[in-house]
Amino acid sequence: MKKNVRVCLAIALLALMVMPMAIHAEEKVIRIGAMYPMTGRPGLYGIDSVAAAEMAMDEINGKGGVNGYKIDATFTDSKAKPAYAVRVATRYITEDKVHFLFGIVSSGVGLAVTEVSKQYKTIFIGTDHASTQLTVDKFQPYYFRVSNDTFSSMAAGALYLKELQAKKPWKTIAYIGPDYAYGHDQWNELRYNLDRFGVKHKVVGEYWPKLFEPDYNSYVTSLINDKPDILVTGFWGGDTVAFIKQAQAYGMFKKTLYFQPDAGGNYELMSAMGAELPAGLVLGARHYNNWPDTERNRNFVQSFFKRTGRYPTYAAEGAYAGVYAIAKAVEAVGNPDDTEALVKALSTLKIQLPEDPEGFTSYIDPETHQIMQMQAIGVTMPNNDFPPAKMMLGDWKVYKPEDIAPPAEYIKEKRK
Amino acid sequence: MDASFFFTQFVSGLTMATLLFLVASGLTLIFGVGNVFNFAHGSFYMLGAYFGYQFVTVWGNNFWLSLVLTAVCVGLVGMVVEAVFLRRIYGRANEGGFQILLTYSFILIIDDLVKLIWGTEYKSLPRPQGFQGAFQAGDIYFPAYNLLIIAIGLFVVVAAWWILSRTRAGRVARAAATDREIVGVLGVNVPRTMTLVFGIATALGGMAGALAAPLRTVTPGAGIEVIIDSLIVVVLGGMGNFWGAWFGAILIGEVNAFAVAFVPKWATLFSFLVMVIVLVFKPEGLFATRKIRKL
Repeated sequence: MKKNVRVCLAIALLALMVMPMAIHAEEKVIRIGAMYPMTGRPGLYGIDSVAAAEMAMDEINGKGGVNGYKIDATFTDSKAKPAYAVRVATRYITEDKVHFLFGIVSSGVGLAVTEVSKQYKTIFIGTDHASTQLTVDKFQPYYFRVSNDTFSSMAAGALYLKELQAKKPWKTIAYIGPDYAYGHDQWNELRYNLDRFGVKHKVVGEYWPKLFEPDYNSYVTSLINDKPDILVTGFWGGDTVAFIKQAQAYGMFKKTLYFQPDAGGNYELMSAMGAELPAGLVLGARHYNNWPDTERNRNFVQSFFKRTGRYPTYAAEGAYAGVYAIAKAVEAVGNPDDTEALVKALSTLKIQLPEDPEGFTSYIDPETHQIMQMQAIGVTMPNNDFPPAKMMLGDWKVYKPEDIAPPAEYIKEKRK
Repeated sequence: MDASFFFTQFVSGLTMATLLFLVASGLTLIFGVGNVFNFAHGSFYMLGAYFGYQFVTVWGNNFWLSLVLTAVCVGLVGMVVEAVFLRRIYGRANEGGFQILLTYSFILIIDDLVKLIWGTEYKSLPRPQGFQGAFQAGDIYFPAYNLLIIAIGLFVVVAAWWILSRTRAGRVARAAATDREIVGVLGVNVPRTMTLVFGIATALGGMAGALAAPLRTVTPGAGIEVIIDSLIVVVLGGMGNFWGAWFGAILIGEVNAFAVAFVPKWATLFSFLVMVIVLVFKPEGLFATRKIRKL
């Protein structure tokens, strides 16, 4: 009898050991191959993106996954280098058999990886890079972007400047931005939109410091000499911080309106500068921790804070949106293997995201595969709700996606 | 173009030049005395910025005390790095290759250490009390803190001149730069001299980092961004020449300031152009005495 009990126990134990393996073998998985920079200056965006993507995955998998599929992602440092990211993307597709390529902060890297996606017919969900080229000039059917492009930011910026001109006439404008595609694209797109909306302006200065330039003193004094009414800047990250610190010391913002509609409103600027950040700067970004004031956005920001102990930069929401977009598409198609059906589902995707104000739902434009979202621009003012920041944006102006997306003739011209 | 704009541009060029000089001076000192090109020198500058942040912003210390503490701490880190790692490769065949590998690896190690300790978020250091404002002359502003940096740069130049030419330690360092072996034979403890020089040089770099922090962004990767410009300055002045670094920094700072004002589209090109011209006509650098051996 005793012996029988022991045998039974042994069999039960064995079954318990084998069972997880059997379950594992049958487990259905949506495989995501993600690439983000983890080192150097853009490392902050990468680390925030990974945290937010994992947060979205935990939320979805915690509720049982999608159609019985669990989402699983591998994250690799893109090193912000196109050639390296191309190798990683190819390995993801050929060896790891991922269903989706995912992420990328730098547009240069995004433009390289979209070619891999096109060649292998593997869907690439862009979550943070902003160059309009990816959805217009270099459009390919397997590419989708879930954060806004520079064109929309600049069109919203041009409308903001138009409204401002009606209230407080301004005439002259100057630009300073990093000397590579991102900096040049923004300035070209802003001028295109100023002309499109009939905003009269005179350009009094254009400056192209190198990316990550540590010292802007000479640029600041030269810009002050140009006496622009509006100074548009196309920096991102630490370059914004350094420029504002140096320009502020010269009293520049007393006479000139500082205007940075694409990446200026990123939370990293507020957290880095604290009380030193001047009031009255006009900034925009791809997601804000304090706009829209909806339950969905508050939950997103607070969950991120609980998870990491800090408030997110805008890159986080892009990654979070990307995971949810994948889940929604797989839910519609039923599996992650039918790429063509997934492309179709993504092309007409409608999805509620943290950055959607009440009554609006983000959607993908089938023509460009670019997500269409409301774009807000705000002004810096005191706000202690998101420490270590002591200034946040407020006094919002909000623009509809139909008004700020690239017009049909622009897309046609660029795709010629 | 009026005279006041010319003057403002000159002063803003000097601010950049001074910070450049403080980094480049350490780089050239290490090269001059130790014949080591320290790729990681920019990382000591970055470390200085983070130490400054820790002392001032986190622990709430006085800015000036923190500046001195930062220089001492970064200098100590530099001495440990020299004594434990760099010393092992002096005099080896193909020393140059080892130097590049070793000092480059320190860029990566220090970057990751900084990320582990302070995270990836950008950090900030406020300008010290009394230097937050600007002197105003008509329409032009001269930020007090920028003028202070220029003054500190001048002080370092004078102090370095005094130490190198008037003290025994300075003379020993210069002698070691000329011939390590002979100086050793004469009874000088050459390894200790080298460690000390490395410490002083990295302390200068660290101080530059802390001084620059209120104007720039404290972030991982900040070291790599200053090393290229510093290298241009050191090459221009003559590798290993202290005065060359000073002159080179002012030349680059001013060339950049006026290029920005007059040819903004091509401004970033000019510092490289100056370096190319100098390398073509005086390949050993403007202030170097040693001739490049012609092949």
